[in-house]
Amino acid sequence: MRRWLLAFATMGLVAAACASEAETPGSSPTSPAPMEQTASECVEANADALFAADTLTIGTGNPAYQPWYGGKSVPDSEWKSSSFTGDPHTGEGYESAFAYALAEELGFSEDQVDWVSVTFNKSFAPGDKDFDFAMQQISITEKRERAVDFSEGYYDVNQALIANEGSPAIGVTTLEGLKDLRLGAPVGSTSLQAIEELVQPSDGGHGYPDLDKALKDLKNGQLDGVVVDFPTAFYGYADVVVGQFPPIGGEQEQFGLTFETGSPLVGCANLGIEQLRDDGALDELKDEWLEVDTSVPVFS
Amino acid sequence: MTGHPSPGPEVSFPQGQPGIDPRLPGGDRRSRILAGGAGRNTWIAVVSTVVFFSVAAVLIVNSAGWPTVRFFFFDGAEFAYAFPRIVARFRWNVFIFCTAEALVLVLAMFIAVLRSLPGPVFAPLRLLAAGYTDLFRGVPTILVILLLGYGMPALELHGLPQSDVFWAIVALTLVYSAYVAEVYRAGIESIHPSQVAAARSLGLTRAQSLRHVVLPQAVRRVIPPLLNDFIGLQKDSALVAVLGFTEALLRAEIISANDFNFTPYVALAVIYVAITIPQARFVDWLVARERRRREATTQL
Amino acid sequence: MTEAIRIEGLRKSFGPLEVLRGIDLAVDDHEVVCLIGASGSGKSTLLRCIDLLEPVDAGRIWIEGVEITAAGVDENAVRRRIGIVFQAFNLFPHMTVMRNVTLAQEKALGRPAADARANAHELLTRFGLADKADDYPDRLSGGQQQRVAIARALAMEPDVLLLDEVTSALDPVLVAEVLDTIRGLATTGMTMVIATHEMGFARDVAHRVAFLEEGRILEQGDPGTMFTDPHEDATRRFLDRIIAAGRM
Repeated sequence: MRRWLLAFATMGLVAAACASEAETPGSSPTSPAPMEQTASECVEANADALFAADTLTIGTGNPAYQPWYGGKSVPDSEWKSSSFTGDPHTGEGYESAFAYALAEELGFSEDQVDWVSVTFNKSFAPGDKDFDFAMQQISITEKRERAVDFSEGYYDVNQALIANEGSPAIGVTTLEGLKDLRLGAPVGSTSLQAIEELVQPSDGGHGYPDLDKALKDLKNGQLDGVVVDFPTAFYGYADVVVGQFPPIGGEQEQFGLTFETGSPLVGCANLGIEQLRDDGALDELKDEWLEVDTSVPVFS
Repeated sequence: MTGHPSPGPEVSFPQGQPGIDPRLPGGDRRSRILAGGAGRNTWIAVVSTVVFFSVAAVLIVNSAGWPTVRFFFFDGAEFAYAFPRIVARFRWNVFIFCTAEALVLVLAMFIAVLRSLPGPVFAPLRLLAAGYTDLFRGVPTILVILLLGYGMPALELHGLPQSDVFWAIVALTLVYSAYVAEVYRAGIESIHPSQVAAARSLGLTRAQSLRHVVLPQAVRRVIPPLLNDFIGLQKDSALVAVLGFTEALLRAEIISANDFNFTPYVALAVIYVAITIPQARFVDWLVARERRRREATTQL
Repeated sequence: MTEAIRIEGLRKSFGPLEVLRGIDLAVDDHEVVCLIGASGSGKSTLLRCIDLLEPVDAGRIWIEGVEITAAGVDENAVRRRIGIVFQAFNLFPHMTVMRNVTLAQEKALGRPAADARANAHELLTRFGLADKADDYPDRLSGGQQQRVAIARALAMEPDVLLLDEVTSALDPVLVAEVLDTIRGLATTGMTMVIATHEMGFARDVAHRVAFLEEGRILEQGDPGTMFTDPHEDATRRFLDRIIAAGRM
């Protein structure tokens, strides 16, 4: 008897749920910025969209990895520097430097930039955000566009495989050759996607909550190799950069900033990014902070 | 049956009314009244349930945040994509919790028996068992998995397995044996001393009484809490995700992070509930059968 | 005639409560002794002490001439030679009737399974319960369960059978069948000590009746004289109460 009541109740709920229209939050249009407006004018025009008045609040992960974030941590900062991590407040590291450059374009001084530590999930989860945008080497994809608003890409990224001495991965030049190896990457990164879609390893690949744990297993010998984005690969987390991966799905992958859907600040940010690109500032940042050896072979 | 009053005039007996004997005086009239009452009650219950849940559903569905929640948690396309992939990795969870449970049932029995050995001679063993129980019920399961899963391979001892799955099973076995040992102990102590008296009076030794009379009954008696702990173990099998092993939870995390959507987690929840319900019904049946047997022999 | 049981000066306390205050009793082979007395007089405790289910505080007990209260005695061996049946039947609910009767034969006596089954079958048939052999105790009536309990005790071929108010928990309709079974055992010469409230039964079956009051045997003698003309006032008062309650 109770079972029938439960069935009726469930049917009622499901029927009502299905009846409602599904709106994807990422589909609402953002207000377009009028032509000829500068980035900072755009921000002024949309000042009430800021999380904190007169402040640019940026969310990023903790720990913040080199070479995206560097420098010695400032006093009272949530971020602790080490040989592999840095502090966003320092302006050192590609993303940190880029953030301050963008902030300037948007009309904020250095002291007007605030950093909050944000988990990966929080950068796209629904509900009110406590930042204006999140920046954590997040790749732009169509599926993700449904949940958040992305800015334009601020960095073209490729994936690479790193390994330690004695790993069976060293010397492998084909994707086929990687199939039976144990490869790992942080969950949510396109690095993991590269493993799953390009290599399709026989053990399914290994996802980690963060880069730290993946590297630990690499050190232990539990993994034969870790996939990271190109610049990270050269940072010295492991002995050898084995090779680069071709683009997943054939398209150039890019990092973008994530905004709450419908945020008018996206347009402003895009103006700023375009400006930095046109000025050659993005290339300068790349040269200064990211050492890459483009002669590393691409897996075929 | 003997002793019944002689039946009255021929009356027709409505079918499907258990427990109402028309041979008793006024039987037919009684059954008609009861039939009317029971039928009406059922309809009231059905209608009221449907109304209540429909109203609740309508209220939820029309709330301001519903479209967002629906997109992030109940997206049909995402569910269809995620579900088969998660189910495919779920077989690892099944392997982990089935293996662990088999080990737990044995190890916990050993600890429970150690703990109940009588006499001063066995005091150190009792203490050991009590200490074990306190330790592994005290430390959070996820910590035990992390410590063993990262720590043991780091010791680099020869012959020690390195696999995540192995250490996850070890950790889960150690932790759950502590809980299940207490459950067994409660079961053993709930067996009335008269059963032991009967066994001893027949000349069976203490060990024989334990093995043939006490333990079989004790275990049957504690099947509901044993199942509770088993269900807890099934859910905790997901903790191997923190070691980087891609079972169902990590698969859900990966899809969720890639697609910026939480529906994969809902899919996993559905899988868990689907396997739990049949287990619960099976145990209900077992318990009813044991109760019948026990109560017939007037144990106090 | 040898003595099946001899008890001298038995004392037993539970904490501050002294339940047995010096029991002296002798039971010959093939003799049936009935213990009567009010609840709390110590009948159950006495039987449990004889079977070494309770440690004795003082006094000595001999079974077939062997002192079982001596130091270093193998208690399990002693219990194999004494059978006891309890008020609450205490059948093992997770085993069939047959298994209840064969378990101790196999494990405690080391009998091969086939012999144990044959022996059990014979006993159950004797008690009219052969068709219940594969049932679980929950399918049997109280009287049937109690008779299985008796069969289970007898399967061990004890020297002595102790019965602790075995009909007190039964539906009155079922009491007779159990008493009949016990009567049958008496005619086969089984040595028995029976604690009971069934006075009529005691009068029929006992060679001797012992009246317990507050942990002592106040009076004992053959049932004929005990019931009609007891010596002690206490005995007389007890019997009067029984008659007044319509139970004799």
